[in-house]
Amino acid sequence: MINFLKKHMFDKYRLDKDFGKNPEETVSPEEEVAVNEDELFCQAEFDEKKSEIIAAPRYSYWKSVWKTFVGSKMNIAVSILVIFIVAFSFIYPSFSNYDPMDAPYINDASRKYLAPSAEHIFGTDDIGNEVFDVVWEGARNSLIVSLAATAIDMIVGIIVGAIWGFSKKMDKWMIEIYNVISNVPFLLIAMILSYILGNGFGPLIFTMTVTDWIFVAYFIRTQVMIIRDREYNLASKCLGTSTWTMVTKNILPYLISVIMTYISRQVPALISYEVFLSYMGLGLGMQYASLGRTISNYTSYMRGYPHLFWIPVSILAIISISLYIVGQKLADAADPRTHR
Amino acid sequence: MSTNNNEREVILSIRHVDISFDIGKKKKFKAVKDASFDIYRGETFALVGESGSGKTTLGRAAIRINPCSAGEILFNGERISGKISRKQDRNVIRNIQMIFQDPAASLNERATIEYCISEGLYNFHLYKDEEDRIAKVDKALEDVGLLPEHKSRYPHEFSGGQRQRVGIARAMIMEPQLIIADEPISALDVSIRAQILNLMNKLKKEKNLTYLFIAHDLSVVRFIADRIAVIHLGKIVEIAESEDLFRYPVHPYTISLLSAVPMPDPIIEKQRDSIVYTKEEDDPEASPREMREIRPGHFVYANDEDMVAFEERLKKLELYNAENQ
Ligand SMILES: Nc1ncnc2c1ncn2[C@@H]1O[C@H](COP(=O)(O)OP(=O)(O)OP(=O)(O)O)[C@@H](O)[C@H]1O
Ligand SMILES: [Mg+2]
Repeated sequence: MINFLKKHMFDKYRLDKDFGKNPEETVSPEEEVAVNEDELFCQAEFDEKKSEIIAAPRYSYWKSVWKTFVGSKMNIAVSILVIFIVAFSFIYPSFSNYDPMDAPYINDASRKYLAPSAEHIFGTDDIGNEVFDVVWEGARNSLIVSLAATAIDMIVGIIVGAIWGFSKKMDKWMIEIYNVISNVPFLLIAMILSYILGNGFGPLIFTMTVTDWIFVAYFIRTQVMIIRDREYNLASKCLGTSTWTMVTKNILPYLISVIMTYISRQVPALISYEVFLSYMGLGLGMQYASLGRTISNYTSYMRGYPHLFWIPVSILAIISISLYIVGQKLADAADPRTHR
Repeated sequence: MSTNNNEREVILSIRHVDISFDIGKKKKFKAVKDASFDIYRGETFALVGESGSGKTTLGRAAIRINPCSAGEILFNGERISGKISRKQDRNVIRNIQMIFQDPAASLNERATIEYCISEGLYNFHLYKDEEDRIAKVDKALEDVGLLPEHKSRYPHEFSGGQRQRVGIARAMIMEPQLIIADEPISALDVSIRAQILNLMNKLKKEKNLTYLFIAHDLSVVRFIADRIAVIHLGKIVEIAESEDLFRYPVHPYTISLLSAVPMPDPIIEKQRDSIVYTKEEDDPEASPREMREIRPGHFVYANDEDMVAFEERLKKLELYNAENQ
């Protein structure tokens, strides 16, 4: 083998070197160079460990989620919009001096029903208040209610749902409770509770979450059941892992994405819930502005002064849709299948 | 059970075990029927049968995932099937570990390798301090030929063979006495099967382990198993020492399994064609069968009529093997 290689290498060598030379002048390959075989072939050291090294950069789940999310310009744009809306609706009302129980311009006919202009950005309403002030005050309260209710729903729902999904005993009676609750008309519960508890933030959030958590729990239960019997959970069981650790380490990390999807639907849904309840007169009450109450107040002017109706509705739509999109995109990014 | 094994210590004893699953309301499916065998300390006992024959079901009964509907399982002489104390349950978990069939499915994809391997250590608090735990994890990784820097990686970054070695490390770190390896190489590429088998053999020697090795292919177990049990439709049909089973296969199902293995043996080759294996269990007229010792340490599931045929076959094989010695 080595001789064969040598011969070929020398043949080639001679061809290159002797090109255009007189054949007599060429030196025979034997004399020319004494090639050291060791130089030609040195033994590559075989290191078994080397084949185990992973060359890919270190993977971190949350870093990948972040990278995937900010990798899209659209995501960044919508996120900025959401942050701006939320921040604005929390900051602006504290500077606006708007008080829903007060009507300082009620006797000033020249300030009523003004169309949007540079001076009155969203125009003015039937009692001379700035629609801009009313809408942002309402947006803030609606956001507070829906975010708080979502948080309560999700926390209670995830904890109960995770245990529910694991425990076959609990499943039997929880399913019955679920069936009963999901068949009672929600409006009935809301009406009864509003008569008992009255109006205000606490009662409204309670009304919205008192039965709603069970739907979250049911959703989580189904998800848990799907992955509960997967082999890696069996492996954990064989290693003596407790049910609680299984939930937090084996199950919930797999559910981040679907939970994000759920939240991204829950926040806008609860905003509409609040709007609906306020519209029905079961919401926050007279002393608080909310998007629902604002829209319900202004509905009668839909024909005569359309800006009064369409501005709060548009703000509601923008808030709901942008929150939904951000939630969906976060859910996508939280799915490791989208990670590169 | 057998004469020449009397002195040896039994680590796991499966006694007349039935395992059934509920299918639908009130219907039951018996996946394992009247299985009995002993596993001796320090040996590799193989359980071989085709897909769906109940191998996994039986293996999982030994780690208490599947409950037995009849019979009992003894570990070191103590019953571990049915209701047992929590202390005994923890004892079983520590001393019997499992290596899973599918390395892709048996690791938690959202946990680092460090967590996967430490899981058992955490649950039993088998370390003095953080430093000690890390040292143990590093040692376990090294034992299976992986590197300490793999600790912070996630399972999806590993190849099938590497994942299976993580699975082995996770079982080994518990320092168990018995390991149930459920087809540990069948999901792996052919090129790395030998590597995993060699690793398992090496670890067995180093750590004084006993294996219950589940496989669906006799050729795989020939070189690693000391004894082999052949299971067919939830019934154990033949148990023998490894070489014995290959030289003197008597049960028709064993012979049909051997057809998956290329055999340079004309007699078996001939028998393969002549024997059509029918489900004997379905024959209601046959007298009841039981495990019978046909050669020392060689058991076969048979009744009187079967025994005649089996003994005749055995004689032929003995003659043939003697000639070709
Ligand atoms: N949880 C279960 N519920 C109902 N039937 C089951 C269950 N697990 C297994 N079985 C049935 O029991 C029989 C034996 O299954 P088992 O998984 O033990 O087979 P196996 O020998 O391990 O096969 P393979 O080589 O494919 O892994 C099969 O017919 C299977 O359908
Ligand atoms: Mg199996």
